[in-house]
Amino acid sequence: MSDDEFLTVTDVSKWYGDEQVLHDVSFEMDRGDVTVLIGPSGSGKSTMLRCVNRLAEAQEGSIRLDGEEVLSPDLDVDVLRREVGMVFQGFNLFAHLTAVGNVALGPRRVLGLSEAEARERAEEKLERVGLADQFASYPAELSGGQQQRVGIARALAMEPKLMLFDEPTSALDPELIGEVLEVMHGLVDEGMTMLVVTHEMSFARAVADEIVFLDGGHVVERGPPDQLFERPGKERTGRFLERIASHD
Amino acid sequence: MASATRPTTVRERVAESDPSLGRLLLVAAGALFWGWLVVSWLNRWLGGVVVPVGAPLVSPGAVEATVAALPGLAAYAGDARFVVELTPELARGTWLTVVITAVSLVIGFFIAVPLAVARVYGRFSAWLSLMYTELLRGTPLLAQLFVLYYGLNLASYVPGAVSGVFPRDVVWVAILGFTLNGAAYQAEYIRGALESVEEGQITAGRAIGLSKLETIYYVVLPQGLRYAIPSWTNEFVYLIKYSSLAAFITVPELYYRADQVASETFRYTLIFIVTGVTYLALVLTASKLMERVEGAVAIPGLGAEREE
Repeated sequence: MSDDEFLTVTDVSKWYGDEQVLHDVSFEMDRGDVTVLIGPSGSGKSTMLRCVNRLAEAQEGSIRLDGEEVLSPDLDVDVLRREVGMVFQGFNLFAHLTAVGNVALGPRRVLGLSEAEARERAEEKLERVGLADQFASYPAELSGGQQQRVGIARALAMEPKLMLFDEPTSALDPELIGEVLEVMHGLVDEGMTMLVVTHEMSFARAVADEIVFLDGGHVVERGPPDQLFERPGKERTGRFLERIASHD
Repeated sequence: MASATRPTTVRERVAESDPSLGRLLLVAAGALFWGWLVVSWLNRWLGGVVVPVGAPLVSPGAVEATVAALPGLAAYAGDARFVVELTPELARGTWLTVVITAVSLVIGFFIAVPLAVARVYGRFSAWLSLMYTELLRGTPLLAQLFVLYYGLNLASYVPGAVSGVFPRDVVWVAILGFTLNGAAYQAEYIRGALESVEEGQITAGRAIGLSKLETIYYVVLPQGLRYAIPSWTNEFVYLIKYSSLAAFITVPELYYRADQVASETFRYTLIFIVTGVTYLALVLTASKLMERVEGAVAIPGLGAEREE
């Protein structure tokens, strides 16, 4: 573990009441890396992701992002969050705003851009995710795949240095998953640093620099995808990957 | 969650309802009612440009003669004349009823929103807000008005205002009472609506770096207030009718003037039927107005047909 890593998670533990949901989780990422957290439901991977932008509070350990301690009580979480984009499983688009309104809200109100600048940036990001023809659509008028792409554009509009994806395709009908993964592939190609929780193993395998397998709040195993998928070092990892594979 | 478009909004439902005969009658009655009121008020403020101040817009004698000429209605000609003679007083009283309701409702709204936000998202402030709403909702409105008027003698502190277009001192005491009381009720309606805004909306707002208050202002309120419109309309309607309690602190609004005439003429039944119809017309106007507002601010997929 070196100090010049972009993101260093060290021995992070978290409890919900008496129940410990994360046990000394550690991993690190370089700038431009894609790390994928996998594991059965309830393994703590989404909670781990949320600890990185403090939507969940870890009680122990350290998360250093770009030289700053994320878990420090003195940290301004609003500043942290404008630098860390997040994409949600349930999209969580602002239901009262159009696609452009959703994407422009952060730049306008958080970054302080003018109305016109924020709008311009929103349109640019929506074009980037392939929604140039849906600027004025409300979330309820969009398909799930389109909504999630708006969600990605909304996060991108803040020009974050790290993107968190919390099961971005799990709520989608199978035929809509591809369009979202395609956008994510594009981000990988552009060198975006991404921490992704997903069950899309083929995506993980194709783009991840490292895969972290969590079970019961523990890091069971981590490593490059080829190693993890071809020669899992732990029996639990192998069983999980087999189970997932049989569902595909 | 990944559902396709569901375009059944209020706006579309309003647009679909075709102009039936009943609707046309309602619109005609509304135009007649508000035309009468507005012309009566203007006539009084402008010093009797249409008819002498205090006189009905149409001649009571002519109405009496017309009704007497109608087959089967001749027996009611005297009543018709009396109702027409009553209209100037009713119009005067209705002006105050409208002013008291509108001003209290609007100011109350701006108190109710912070109260509701505090109640849902605050800690200590939630407790304060709860105290306020329970106290104001848990005691009789009339008792509150009496405390303000007789107890605190507020009317003596309010600077005098020109009578006529602008209400007299005591009217401001009534407005204060209805504002404070109505704010508590409005806060309850808005609180319920805020609580029905999905948690994920707040999470998403926080995740792009909006503070808690910014998230409430830019994300929660625009949705919650839309959800609140139907129940908030109830408060509007209640307030129109509750405003009659102002009569008990000598505010010469609709009920007060009706009661004054009734105690002089003893024609209680007729007077309060006509007064009741006037309140009914105000209430119908309010609910139609809010229906329009709801349609105008409707957003596809929001409020009209929420999932869960």
